[in-house]
Amino acid sequence: MRALVIDDSRAMRRIVSGTLEDLGFEVNQAGDGQQGLEVLTGGWVPELVTVDWNMPVMDGLQFVAAVRANPAWRAMTIMMVTSESEHTQIVRALAAGAHEYVIKPFTADALRDKLALLGLLPQEVAL
Amino acid sequence: MSSTDTGERRRSGEARPVITELIDEATVQSIADDAWTALVGEDEFLVPIAGEFPGDVLSSWVDVVGPWTGTVVLTTGRETAAGLTRALLGDHAPAELEDEDIADAFGEIANVVGGNVKAALPGPSALSLPDVGHAPAVRNPADVCRLEVLWRGEALSISVQGALPALPVPHQH
Repeated sequence: MRALVIDDSRAMRRIVSGTLEDLGFEVNQAGDGQQGLEVLTGGWVPELVTVDWNMPVMDGLQFVAAVRANPAWRAMTIMMVTSESEHTQIVRALAAGAHEYVIKPFTADALRDKLALLGLLPQEVAL
Repeated sequence: MSSTDTGERRRSGEARPVITELIDEATVQSIADDAWTALVGEDEFLVPIAGEFPGDVLSSWVDVVGPWTGTVVLTTGRETAAGLTRALLGDHAPAELEDEDIADAFGEIANVVGGNVKAALPGPSALSLPDVGHAPAVRNPADVCRLEVLWRGEALSISVQGALPALPVPHQH
């Protein structure tokens, strides 16, 4: 399974990517929403995208809206991974088309639990 | 009958509270503890004891703009910020840390702490992208909630400080 990790913090990209790689994902990274869209339009379309909210150039909410506007990417699962933890923000993200919401700080176990709920754990990990 | 304008009436009419009415040090400590456990390491603790800062300090911060407007500022020694960066990156840390690595990691910690402080305040509020450098000045000492801790024996502070009253508008020449 493939995952695209979008976050303007290199450190956070490394943390999320490392967790996903440990779970068996093939991971690609992008530093903002625009770069993330470029990865997708370049043909690298993953099953999972994790995206931060507050980023320069194109933020996570704009990215989610752009992805949901393209029917070709409808099957892609989007998980917001962000320090935006207000209830209204969570509602906005889900309304825009995100499937799941993980609030920073998070543990590897919390991320794994969310993926399990989404049915996105590789079979050998989920067992 | 004469009266003196002390400003009390205007102040009492302002809806904007100071930070100490909204959040306390224990809440900030709890937020920081969670961030440290998740980001820095499960066995990493912030001890609520004030320490002595070295001469060379670095700050990272995010702005919160909403019913309460201000800044969440983390400050520690530059070497300690480098240690935090290594802990955060773990096995992914480069052999030689560059300033950019430290700014990125220390900024992300401010982003996570600031985001959760924002969630504890009345909303809706907006959060800025993190910045790193010399700490923004405290504008109103009465509008500050400051936590001083030790991480691995080194001093670190988390200051939630109001941005109002606004700085005076510079004179036009």
